[in-house]
Amino acid sequence: MSRKLAVLFLAMLILVGAMSLKTVVTTHGDGSVVMANAGGPVPPSPWKNAGGPVPPSPWKNAGGPVPPSPWK
Amino acid sequence: MPGSVTYVLWPLTLLAQVGVVVCSLRGHSFRKYLALNLYMLSSFFAAILRFSILSQYGFSSKEYFYFYYYSEALLTVCLFFGLISLYTNVLTELKAERLVHLAATLLLLATALFSYLVIRQSANKMLTHFVVEMSQNLYFVGLVLTYVLWGAIMKLRETRTRLIQLVLSTGLYFSAFAAIYALRNLYPSLHAIWGYLPPLIALALPVAWGYAFWRVPEEARLAPARLAVVPR
Repeated sequence: MSRKLAVLFLAMLILVGAMSLKTVVTTHGDGSVVMANAGGPVPPSPWKNAGGPVPPSPWKNAGGPVPPSPWK
Repeated sequence: MPGSVTYVLWPLTLLAQVGVVVCSLRGHSFRKYLALNLYMLSSFFAAILRFSILSQYGFSSKEYFYFYYYSEALLTVCLFFGLISLYTNVLTELKAERLVHLAATLLLLATALFSYLVIRQSANKMLTHFVVEMSQNLYFVGLVLTYVLWGAIMKLRETRTRLIQLVLSTGLYFSAFAAIYALRNLYPSLHAIWGYLPPLIALALPVAWGYAFWRVPEEARLAPARLAVVPR
């Protein structure tokens, strides 16, 4: 039982480490995504609203003008 | 629109992927490294389908968009299982296969749950966002897992050269992507350079694996002193 709990703890630790690393790496990111498998040109990111028939951004829940950024 | 470099490196990547499987079959290692070979094969077929959809519907089509991101997510899961198979290989003497599989399943489920919690507010195209988010998160989980595996290799004084070559090349692959991603965000003005590097790294992984299967025999061993400094 303790070995299984240790495995669970290790899995969660790895997940926390990976997500922390992702947060550090993607800070100030432009919403682009890391894609590498199988090669080929990367289509526009679903997190960007530029070019191509891109689905609506997940960060917009409705239309209307976007207010000024709080970071400006 | 994609650059010409992508179109030059893409067929080379396909050739390298086939090369990995051929070298593996030639060296009678296909079954031993089944997950890695299956990843290479699925990557090859996904690339063929991507090219077919791209030439039929165009770069800006919905078909290419959805196929690209969904196939990417599936391939990332395949690569994750490939990495887990390397864990099983390294920890084979500890007879910890069941625990490795349990940890891998837990990690995959936890990553999926985390990805869902991140995107659950997006009402539209939730599945697409989930797939992309999951794929991104698995990249970083893979990166951390590779470093943990390298730590285990050092600790266990693993000497199998081919296995070490495979783990190191996978680690370089994940690390290079994370580094490019971070540098791209830090220096967005050098966008042209960051655009060329990912296809190069995508080519480097099958080349490194192919080299490991072609040139490094299964029996080859490294002296432990070359991996870790032993305190006297």
